[in-house]
Formats: sequence, C-alpha cells, structure tokens
Amino acid sequence: MNALAAIGEALVLIGTFFYLLSALGLIRMPDVYNRMQTSTKSATLGSLGVMVGVGIWALGTDFGSAAWLTKTVVIAIFLLLTNPISAHALIRAAYKSGIPLWEGSVVDKYREHLEGKEKAPEETPKEGGEE
Amino acid sequence: MLKRALAIISLLLIGYWIAQGLAGVPFGQDRMLVAQYYLDHVKEQTGAVNAVTAIVVNYRGFDTLGEVTVLFIASTGVGALLWRRKKQRTAKTEGSIVLTTGTRLLVPFVMLFGAYIFIHGHLTPGGGFPGGATIATAFLLLYMAFTAYEIPHKAFEKTEGAVGMAYVLVGLIGLAIGGYFLYDWIWQDWGFGVDNIGRLLSGGFIPIIYTIIGLKVGTELSGIIDNMLKEEVSE
Repeated sequence: MNALAAIGEALVLIGTFFYLLSALGLIRMPDVYNRMQTSTKSATLGSLGVMVGVGIWALGTDFGSAAWLTKTVVIAIFLLLTNPISAHALIRAAYKSGIPLWEGSVVDKYREHLEGKEKAPEETPKEGGEE
Repeated sequence: MLKRALAIISLLLIGYWIAQGLAGVPFGQDRMLVAQYYLDHVKEQTGAVNAVTAIVVNYRGFDTLGEVTVLFIASTGVGALLWRRKKQRTAKTEGSIVLTTGTRLLVPFVMLFGAYIFIHGHLTPGGGFPGGATIATAFLLLYMAFTAYEIPHKAFEKTEGAVGMAYVLVGLIGLAIGGYFLYDWIWQDWGFGVDNIGRLLSGGFIPIIYTIIGLKVGTELSGIIDNMLKEEVSE
C-alpha cells in the first residue's frame, strides 16, 4: 500500500459516494427537471472520480502500468464532454413535450420567451437555430 | 386476463424445462475439447492474441461471411421496403446549439474510435462489427443533430459493394494459394509479423478482413438509418 494506491482508493470512494447521492436524488426529487439536475451532475462527477481513481490506483499496484491511467483519463474526458450534452438534450426534449414543472416553481422564463416569440415572430432575433 | 395467465404459465413451464436441461451441464469443470485446441494453438496458427476474433475470422471465417451477407440483405431489404420516388428528410427542428456544437466536436472522435476498434480487432476486444456500429453511430449523431444532413449516397453505396467484394476476393486469393476458401496466406505462407505477435502488424489477414467488415457494417447501418429517417414528400 503506497501513496498512489491510497489516493486512488480515496477517489474511488468519493466517486461511489456521489453515485449514491445521484441515485438518492432520483428517488427524492419532485419533478423531471430536478431529478435530472441532481442525477446528471453527481453521476458525472462520480464517474470522473471512479475512473481517474482507478487509473491512479493501478499506478500504485505492482501489476498496473501507465496504460491504465491513460485509458481511464481518455474515457473520463469523453464522458465529461458527452454527459452534459445528453442531459441538455433530454431536458429540452422533456420541456418541448410538455412535461410540467414542479408545482412549487415560480419562474418560467423560457415559456415567456416562447410566447413572446409567438406574438411577434419577425421582431425577435433567431436564437441558435431553434424553431 | 385468461390469455395473460396462460402465457405466464406456459412461459414458466418452458423456463422450467430449459432450467432442467441446463442443470445437467457441468459448470466450473474443464470440459473443453475444441476450445482447448483453439486456446493452445491460436498464436502460432493465426498470429492473433484475441482468440475470439481469430476463431470468428480465421477458423470459422465462413460464418462471418454469412453474417456480413445477412447484414447486406437487411440493408437491401430496408431499402427495398422503404423505396419511394421522392424521399426527403422532414425533420422539423434543428437540434439546439449545444447539441449541434457538441456533435461537430464529437463526430471525428467517435469515428476515430470506431476505426481504432476494427483495426485492433486481433489485439483488443471488439472487431469489425462493433467498430462499424460505432462509425454508424457517428452518422446517426449527425442525422439527429442536423435537419439537412445526408450521407453521400453515391460514395457510400460504392464503398459498401466494393468492400463486400474485397472480402470474397481475399477468400478467393486464399483458395488460389492455399487450396481452400479464406485460407490465411499472409500468415501461413508469408509468415508476416511472426516476430511481433501481440503488436499491431501481426495477425495474418485478420486486420485486413476486419477493416473490410468495419467499413461494410458502418456504411450499411448508416444506409439503414438514412432509409428509415426519410419520409415521402408529396408534390
């Protein structure tokens, strides 16, 4: 047991803890948007912790090599780039298909924006190629 | 209700029957006959360290040719079923700016990874079919994110046919040199890469065939996606 292995184990532990929090958020939160908020963020962070942790852990063992760390870092970067995009697409699709916000929500600027655009379609500038 | 109960009872009976059959199989005991031969001889006979791809491409290459044919027939069948004179993409909304930018950024990496999978079929898990499917995923991403994207049909269909022919051609060269179809002449006769088993330039004709299969599966699945996403337009 050396320092690298200890750091790796700690990272994996932190990552699994965030996985647990993410699963807990799925059960605990009231609507789709809140559930996505809790689950995607903490699951991404948890995966990063687990992956990089495994890579560093492997450096500390006698059978591991730097190839482990390289692979895990590549996978972690890929996940870091793709996970927010997929979460964004899911949330947006949920909103467009009319899934209501939690009844306690007070502000829905996006609806106001859409309705404002419907009223004056030629005045508002086109934003990001949507609709 | 009665229908559902009958279905559940019959499924349970079938499951019990299969479980009874499986109970006779000795798990955890060494009963390998052919498999032991493969494991013992895969390195010197094929030059690959991945025994699965060596079996799939080299020992039992005929099955793989059949699978490629099945995929080709599936793609052609989808094309024939959905054939219409005027077909266009009728997607209504472009993906959001996050999605389009992300797709632009990610597609080259997805394709690179697909190519990595099928080129390293004799070394790492994977091979032509997963690699081709990954490449088709890149095209699916493009189709999903952009309203106007279409694959270059001419080039795709030509590539598909050409690589299909190339597979059969590799087999026929083996027939001419070694006396049977899909004979691995690169390994058996030339001994190419004997010194570096386990590195990229080894494995006989497995990397070549997997490159062919990867390109074929990638183009075919992209073609199926293209056919299914288009709708008829009335004029």
